[in-house]
Amino acid sequence: MIRHECLELLAAKVTDQLVVTSQSGQRIEWSHLSRHEGNLLVGMMGCAIGVATGLALALPHRKVIALDSDGSVLLSLFNLATLGNLRPKNLLIYVFDNGVYSGSRISYPTATSGNTDLAAIARGAGITNAHTICDIEDFKKNAIEALRRNELSFFVCKVEEGLMHREIPRPNTDLAENKYTFVRYLEQTEGKVIPFVGRG
Amino acid sequence: MKDELAKRLVQGLKSAGINFVTYLPETRLSQIVPLIRDDPGMESIAAASEQEAVTIAAGATLGGKCAAVYMENTGIYVSSYSLLTVGKQLGVPLLLVVGYLGGVADQRNSFLYATIGKHTVPVLVGLGIDYMILEDGEKLEVKVNDAVRAANSLRGPFALLFAGEFSS
Repeated sequence: MIRHECLELLAAKVTDQLVVTSQSGQRIEWSHLSRHEGNLLVGMMGCAIGVATGLALALPHRKVIALDSDGSVLLSLFNLATLGNLRPKNLLIYVFDNGVYSGSRISYPTATSGNTDLAAIARGAGITNAHTICDIEDFKKNAIEALRRNELSFFVCKVEEGLMHREIPRPNTDLAENKYTFVRYLEQTEGKVIPFVGRG
Repeated sequence: MKDELAKRLVQGLKSAGINFVTYLPETRLSQIVPLIRDDPGMESIAAASEQEAVTIAAGATLGGKCAAVYMENTGIYVSSYSLLTVGKQLGVPLLLVVGYLGGVADQRNSFLYATIGKHTVPVLVGLGIDYMILEDGEKLEVKVNDAVRAANSLRGPFALLFAGEFSS
């Protein structure tokens, strides 16, 4: 399965959902495919699911999507235990698992290319709706359809290692600029003031 | 910590606008946990790691909450990565409510905690996180309010380190 194809399908379905991406190749592909103001880039690995969880808890009526990678989830496995107990119904997590630390540029294998099964870990942590997706038809049928459900979902999407993200121009949006665009979008769509911004 | 001080601390957090608390309990300030959990005006989330507690609180802040993270000072070390990347780099206000084990004013200090305490302030300074050390209840509510205002103004984490009377 090709990650970019999955993201294309997902981008076509995003309307007012909030999308949190971590620092990995998929964030470059996603920023190229989606100019949605509800996109939030968290600058480093291992933090996106936590931030998405906080957003989902703060805005329980709003669907929140986290786009993450195998290396990033392995860095923050504690998130799974917390989510397995909280089970926020408005949170969907897509882990694009290519089995390597692609950013290392030596394609060093992650644990998921060995014996580690992230979906099984998630189920063991209490996330009952955790599945491994291996082909694009399954992605369409289950991972995309999950957007319509009101249930914590965790999809481990097995994708080929690809280098497309290195050919796409990197986004030129600064982290702080992206944060303020995101927060202003939230203020506009939620009809409320986010307390920490905008008062000089 | 005396129960009255715990009540004042939680009330001070509420009065300062805190309505979302992530936490890992520790020994010095743990009386605040049931008070926060029982308060309908505060949402409380138990985390599995301080690193996670910081990221969840940051997400809640971006979603419109006024968030605090309650942790032991060992949690500063554990969460330094997310404090730097999410708190500082992304610029998200967070109040850190920290049990300051092993500091000079820690009433239960021992060889178990002293090394942990010795490095807490240098690590905060290294991370560029401003802090205030509280050793008694004098002007507690004012100091908590000042800290929340500082975090919001700085667009980043601000740490309150609790020792002295809070650690007895």
